[in-house]
Amino acid sequence: MNGPTLLTAIWLIPFLTVLASLPVDRHNHGLIKKISLLGNTVNLGLIIWLTVRFIESAGSIGTGAGTGATVLHFAMKLPWFELLNIEYNIGVDAISVLMILLTGTVIVTGILASWQVTDQAKEFFALLNTLVAGVYGVFISFDLFTFFLFYEIAVLPMYLLIGLWGTGRKEYAAMKLTLMLVAGSAFILAGILGLYFESGIASFDLMKLAQVNFAPSFQLWAFPLIFAGFGVLGALFPFHTWSPDGHASAPTAVSMLHAGVLMKLGGYGCLRVAMYLLPQGAEIWMPLFLVLVTINVVYGAFGAIRQTDLKYITAYSSVSHCGLVLFGLTAMTYAGMKGAVLQMLSHGLMTALFFCLIGMIYGRTHTREIEKMGGLMRVMPFLSVAFVIAGLAGLGLPSLSGFVAEATVFIGAFANPAPLNRVCTVLAVLSIVVTAVYVLRTANTVVNGPLREQFKHLTDASFMEKLPVVILLFTLFGMGLLPGWIINLVNGAIDPIFHKVVQQ
Amino acid sequence: MKTLLLPDLLLVFSAFATLGLDLFMPRSSKAPFHLAWAGALLVFFVLLFLPYDQHAIFWGGYEVNGRGLMYKQLFVLSAAFTILLSGSYFQSGNGRQPLAYQGEFCAIILLATFGMFTVVSATDLLTLLLGMELATIPLYALCAFRKGCPLASEASTKYIIMGSLSTAVAVFGYSFLYGCAGSLRFEAVLAYATQYPTSPLLLLGVILLLAAAGFKLTLFPFHMWAPDVYEGAPAPVTAFLSVSSKATAIAFLAVLVNGPLAPLHDQLQPAFLLLAAITMTVGNLGALKQRNLLRFMAYSSIAQAGYIVLAFAGQGAMAQTSIFYYLLVYAAANYATFFIIAVIGKSRSEELETLQGLGRQNPGLAAVLMLAMFSLAGIPPLAGFTGKFMLFATAAQSGFYGMVLFAALNSTVSLYYYLLIIKEAYITKPASPLPTLVMSSIQRASLIPLTGAMIFLGLLPSVSTAIQKILG
Repeated sequence: MNGPTLLTAIWLIPFLTVLASLPVDRHNHGLIKKISLLGNTVNLGLIIWLTVRFIESAGSIGTGAGTGATVLHFAMKLPWFELLNIEYNIGVDAISVLMILLTGTVIVTGILASWQVTDQAKEFFALLNTLVAGVYGVFISFDLFTFFLFYEIAVLPMYLLIGLWGTGRKEYAAMKLTLMLVAGSAFILAGILGLYFESGIASFDLMKLAQVNFAPSFQLWAFPLIFAGFGVLGALFPFHTWSPDGHASAPTAVSMLHAGVLMKLGGYGCLRVAMYLLPQGAEIWMPLFLVLVTINVVYGAFGAIRQTDLKYITAYSSVSHCGLVLFGLTAMTYAGMKGAVLQMLSHGLMTALFFCLIGMIYGRTHTREIEKMGGLMRVMPFLSVAFVIAGLAGLGLPSLSGFVAEATVFIGAFANPAPLNRVCTVLAVLSIVVTAVYVLRTANTVVNGPLREQFKHLTDASFMEKLPVVILLFTLFGMGLLPGWIINLVNGAIDPIFHKVVQQ
Repeated sequence: MKTLLLPDLLLVFSAFATLGLDLFMPRSSKAPFHLAWAGALLVFFVLLFLPYDQHAIFWGGYEVNGRGLMYKQLFVLSAAFTILLSGSYFQSGNGRQPLAYQGEFCAIILLATFGMFTVVSATDLLTLLLGMELATIPLYALCAFRKGCPLASEASTKYIIMGSLSTAVAVFGYSFLYGCAGSLRFEAVLAYATQYPTSPLLLLGVILLLAAAGFKLTLFPFHMWAPDVYEGAPAPVTAFLSVSSKATAIAFLAVLVNGPLAPLHDQLQPAFLLLAAITMTVGNLGALKQRNLLRFMAYSSIAQAGYIVLAFAGQGAMAQTSIFYYLLVYAAANYATFFIIAVIGKSRSEELETLQGLGRQNPGLAAVLMLAMFSLAGIPPLAGFTGKFMLFATAAQSGFYGMVLFAALNSTVSLYYYLLIIKEAYITKPASPLPTLVMSSIQRASLIPLTGAMIFLGLLPSVSTAIQKILG
């Protein structure tokens, strides 16, 4: 299979999985789940193969390091809508490959974690697969129209996924999440139409647009539109309010995918479209966004302290940790951008594990209030230990992925000598202490202490439940202990972007 | 050359053949109905195979050209779907009284469609007026087709009064144009407009014409009749009003602003922008609180008209293509919705609550409804997304980025109420079990091409490329 076909197959397979499950009888949940799992496992295999091939070809062709132009691998262009010169334009650089790898891991574990879904399983897995196809599509698209199209495909299934299979105030949360994210897309839409017509080359091709020097007056208004538009999905303060409600109400697999992968689309878009194409706009607006993002990091951490519901705690910690992604970007330094990408990966894995575990714990205790739990270590040691490890990854313990990413972000942020950056970095670093407080307190309350009477008969995770947890733990440790190859890949991809953004 | 007139002649022939057949068949016969939709589809296929690069003028006043043939395809397809849609309304069901006089109904639809054909074939103001009237007057009768129903009488009365008023305004506008140009011919008006593009008399006339088109297109402030008429008229007539009648008004505007009034583009641009902005906002805000599906569709179609008018602020091939393309996309989604309303309305009613539990009872029908709502809201990968993207791109091409942002945010508001429909169908559980739904084979067969159009119009570029070649 040649490169472009492989890329196309990766986003097409989830769709084919949906088609394959269409003729299955509605009540045959088992078969529907197996088809879904099979499709996505095969896809993960393809993705790993893609990663290996990418590492080989990055060594031979290079990544564009030292220049301002990213070298795309496995690239292909086909004309699509001639009216607007829209192309099916795909390719990958290291960031895309790593994000695709993350998506593949999270969806497989997400499907394993939703093995107990029986209510309208056909629709559930169809929507989940559509969503993930959209995510893959975003990461391989280098045509802004196609990029935007896949972006919306990834966002919309969330409405029904939360509204139908969610818990709590699910209808409110689903509506709020969808409308806020689509309003963000409205900003992006205006921005990319601006890019198309103001570039003078009438093209949506990201790589061609990157060679255009946009007029400063255009960059001045287009940059905040696009950055804030993607920022909504990256939970940028004050557009983050959909996130706690949405993540708390969503079913397990959806929380995993949304917090783990979808929120990364926001940071990815900010870097790939807003900053890469509009560097002068970035320079002007960054101080404002830096302040907003610092609020994200600090406010998210304090928000998590105040919560008593496990999912709300994780959702607020996601606001804080996803804030670190944007924080790395707003630093406008090499290490900062690198850290942002690493944090996307690290947070994706960590938060997926967190939501996965919470789903399993909730499935047993039927409560997510930490006050009502306690002593779970005695009845479910496996889940409890995994829960503590996920928490430690969250507070950035060395040997887990969080440390690599957060350290790089903070180093990068401090490397920018501007006084505002220094102050904000100090404030953001202090949030780690707050994170430690809520993580340790939560883990302590849930895992230790006296075991309640009604929880005494509870069982530990079954084999099918252990599987996703083990996979995610393995990747968390893998990234924490052997970060070298990932950092190498990220270096190669960030270098051209950094050249373009900062040194122009 | 004479073949270019074939579709128009065939259409008139089908209309009268339907009437004639109705005369000789028993009341309960379905033959006129089948003849009518088959005739309309035949006209459509004839239209598909005509040469689009030629044009001819018949008797000095009836022109057939590429653009006209494109619009005629849309009109006649819409007529066919309206007739197919009306089929179940002549049978009795739990939810509604059956309509009577099926043969007349179908014939009137076809005759109104011939009026629309005339609008896109006009070469002078008189033919244009004639076409508009021929397209409107049959609708007065159709609105009142549910005899004895007070809502229908109200709808029809409202429609007649508003419609006659708008015709009067239009005729007044034509008289100004005639006064300026000294002739009713488009060439004469064009010559005058080129010479005096800022003539206040001409502009006054044009604004009056805009008002007349605004009535049919439900542009603010001429949209007030729409919710009442859409609710009171039989649902197939509502579908026809929301697609064919609007498309006629769009065609009317397209004929004028690309023909005799082309030099006035700069003067008209602010008017189009303003009308678009207010209309989409009014439509979207109005739709938020609706509980009746037909009233809901009325407000939704007001907002959709706003998006289309936005593209009139642009110019050239891009504007023409995006407008026609969006009309196609909008028609597909609207007819799909109306077919679902027909199925549900037959055994239940046309209120929002009757959709409850659809996702579990009829997953297929619910999925089509979801696709239609997403297409109307402009969600990819459906056709509505590509269509809206092109409309917005047209506005962006002329530099109106602020308007693009405004329209896109408006579209987000609209997503709220389209999601409410989806929520009702999928999430809300019915308090008491609702009657089961029965679909006829005609409804099934009609929904398949409509669903296909909603999906593939947005993915396959061939249609938009073809439109661009013909209109550009």
